[in-house]
Order: sequence, then C-alpha cells, then structure tokens
Amino acid sequence: MQGLIDSLKLMSFGEGGWGYQFLLAAGMTILLSTASYIFGLVVGLIAACLKVWGGFVLRGLMEIYTTIIRGVPELLIIYLLFFGNEAAINAILGMMGIVEPFRLNEFVIGVFAVGLISGGYATEVFRGAIQTVPHGQIEAGKAFGMHGFLTFRRIILPQTIRLALPGLGNIWQLILKDTALVSVVGVTELMRISQVAARSTREPFPFYITAAILFLVITTFSTKLFRKAEAHYDRSVRRAS
Amino acid sequence: MAKIWLSLVGAAALALGGGAASAADSLRICMEGAYPPFNNTDSSGKIVGFEVDVANNLCKQAGLTCEIAAQDWDGFIPALLNKRCDALMDGMSITEERLKQIAFSVPYTDTPAWFVGAKDGLLKDAKTLADVHAALKGKTIGVQRSTTHQNFLEAEFKDSTVKLYDTVDDLNFDLVNGRIDAGLGDSTSWDSFLKSDNGKGYAHYGPTLTGKDNPLFGQGIGIGLRQEDKDLKAKLDKGIASMKADGSLSKLALQWFGYDPLNPQ
Repeated sequence: MQGLIDSLKLMSFGEGGWGYQFLLAAGMTILLSTASYIFGLVVGLIAACLKVWGGFVLRGLMEIYTTIIRGVPELLIIYLLFFGNEAAINAILGMMGIVEPFRLNEFVIGVFAVGLISGGYATEVFRGAIQTVPHGQIEAGKAFGMHGFLTFRRIILPQTIRLALPGLGNIWQLILKDTALVSVVGVTELMRISQVAARSTREPFPFYITAAILFLVITTFSTKLFRKAEAHYDRSVRRAS
Repeated sequence: MAKIWLSLVGAAALALGGGAASAADSLRICMEGAYPPFNNTDSSGKIVGFEVDVANNLCKQAGLTCEIAAQDWDGFIPALLNKRCDALMDGMSITEERLKQIAFSVPYTDTPAWFVGAKDGLLKDAKTLADVHAALKGKTIGVQRSTTHQNFLEAEFKDSTVKLYDTVDDLNFDLVNGRIDAGLGDSTSWDSFLKSDNGKGYAHYGPTLTGKDNPLFGQGIGIGLRQEDKDLKAKLDKGIASMKADGSLSKLALQWFGYDPLNPQ
C-alpha cells in the first residue's frame, strides 16, 4: 500500500511530482503526431496523384520513395534525416563561407521525418482509394465539361477520402507510436520523459505505466474522432443491412 | 519527388534560419540527463548533477555563456561532430578509440570500475582480479554497450559470456531478475544502485579497477570536444586545472559522489 502511495506521489503535480512534465510531454506527443500526420497526408496525396497520373519518371520516383520509406526501419530514417540533413546543410553553408553551424530545430526535423514516413504509407492508401473510383464517373465529369482539376476536386477527392479514411486512421495510430522514436533526437515527448524520469528516480514502473495509460487515452479518443469522420463521409452512401 | 523534396528542405531551412543560429559565445553542453549522479533530470524538467555544477563553474571562470542541453547517449558523438553540441559531458571516459574521432579536455573526474554480484553469491570470496576471473568462468556478466567496461570484458573475460545493455538501468534490472550473474560498471553509478531498494541484496566484490590497472579503462573522464576547437580545449583545461588547485572540484565530487575519485583516501 505504501508503495502505491509513493508511486502516486511521483505522478502528482506538487513538489517532487512529475505530473506537469508528463502533461507537457503528452501535449508534445499530440502536437508532434498531428503536425507530422498533416504533413504526411499532404505528401501522401501528392505522391499518390503522381503515382496514378504522373509520367514514367515521376511514377518511378514515387515508387522509389514508398519502397525506401516502407522498407527501411523508421528509426534508421530518423537518424539519417536528423544527422544527415544537418551535415549536408552545414557542408553547403561551409562552401558559401558561412561557418556558423546551422542547427535544425528538433521539433521541425521530427515532424519532417515522421511526416515522410507516414506519407509513404498514406501514398499507398490514397492510391488504392483513387483507383477504386469508377472510371465511368470521371468520363461523366468530362461529359459535363469539367476540366481535369475540377473532376479531381468534385468527383475523385470526396470519394477518395471516404474510401481512404479507415486506412488513414490506421496510419494515425502508427504515427502516434512512431513519435516515440523521435525521443532519440531530444524532443521531450511521452516516451522520452518516462525514460528520463524512470532513470533519474530509479522508479521505472510508475512512469512507464503512466505513459502507457496516456498513450491509450490518446488513441481511444482519436479512434472516436475517426469513427465520426467516417460516418460523416459515409452519409451519402446507403449501408446494406 | 525530387522537386518536392528540394522545396521542403528549402522551406524548412527558411523557416528555421531565424531561430537556428545562436549567439557565437553560447556554448552548448550536452548531457544525457539520465545518468545520476553525474547528471539527471529533476521533476521540474531541469538537468542537475555533478557535471552541471562543474560545467557552470568552468563557464563562469572562462567567461562563456553556457547552455545545458539533453541529448540521448545514442548519437552522442555524431551530435558533437554535427555541431548540435559544442561539448559533451556524460561520465565519458577518455579512450584511444574515442580520441580518433574527438578531442577531450583533461580529466575532471575518474570513476573506477567495480564488479557487482549478489551478496554471499559467486563473488563473495573474490579479492583479486584472478579470483573474479575464476568465480565467473562460464557465467554471464552484464555490461553497458559502447563503454570502456565492455572493451575490458571482451578482451579479458573470454571464458565468460558478456551480455550488453543499452543502459545501466536495464543491466540492473536483469541483475535483480537473475538473468546475469554479475555486472561490471562505474563505481558511482553502482553506488546509487546499491543504496536503492532494488540493490539491497547486492554488493561490490573484487578489486577497484582504473586506467592504471588496464589501459582499456581509459584515462579518466573528460569533456568531449571537436578536434578543431583548440581554443575551447585550452580554456576548459585551464579551468579544470584551477578547480583542482582551489579544491572546488574535490568539493563538488564529495557533494555528489560522497568521495573524491581523483584523490581517493
């Protein structure tokens, strides 16, 4: 019983309690995931369009992108982007005679890395959804005199979103957990704070269990949001029952 | 895609340009923030510990503006070489292998290595290194990855199985759970484990090992620096020498470790 009380004290908001730090870190996890997810969706949608309608070269490049992103461990991609990008930028700046080191903001590079990863997966989800839209509808659009982009915006995109949503919800959950990998570059999100707290106090379990609960709370709420979004986009489609 | 990539990097570079470059005089000192008592994080998120106090003292003497930053042990040296950090402090031993990549200040402390095992267990009668050798033949010894201790075990304890851990804490867990028979590590980090609840049934056995016993243990603990930053090294070396001379370094060691590793009694 005393052990439980001590554990609760560690997670309090008062003196010697880590509650406030954990709240900040949970906020960082949500912020980081949301930003990388949005970035990933934009990249994914563009890449999917290029894969479907792009020429030979663009399609090949997109194929390389999704193959690398999905085939290489996420942590490796984060390391490469984090240290590789900076080394490259500093080398370029050095050539221009600027010796002041350029430090990328950890948050931005984290969003960039996780966003590119989620973008790789989102590309395939969007591509599948785009190709499911019946070709006849696109022809019908043309018959009404809509040009390419208008057909895309009015006919393809709304249906693509509806078809892609379940897959995109899945990616969101993956991204939420991938942000834990960004802790290696010094962003204080949930995983990093629980490790730091566990090792600084030598009391691992209260912190790891708290982190697990907070992750579960976030995923449960976001799953609800995705359900709502799915219901919204399904409103024009009659369910067979 | 190439175009997207370029424009993204470009946009990121533009967005960051303003905030990224810091004042020329500000020195970014990186620590793990999770290696008590050298450096650890308190519940308000601040990094505290022996190395923080030493760093602040040195910066004050040298007239430098310093900033303590957290950096995971993974990617510690790349962070220095990539100029994310200007100096590294994390109980890092000066070794030949590391000197190939980076420079070190003169040592500001040293931590001898200890073998730790269960009280009244395998190691209970071990006094010398030869005793430890005999007791651990065919047994499993845990050690933290990429440390001088790992190099030592791999070279000298060929008859034992060496098990590698990412952190000292993982090693401690496995020791308590009985997955390893003994561990080798820093006396200071063992000390706080042995004083904790989990470490109650354990004790250190055998000799206290330093670079004098075996060069694989390195030449003490120094501040990691880039090889080209010679001025900074000169400033920090001077500061450490004067902290040794006026007794302030010894005072800090006593405060955080309970003893002074550079002047053991």
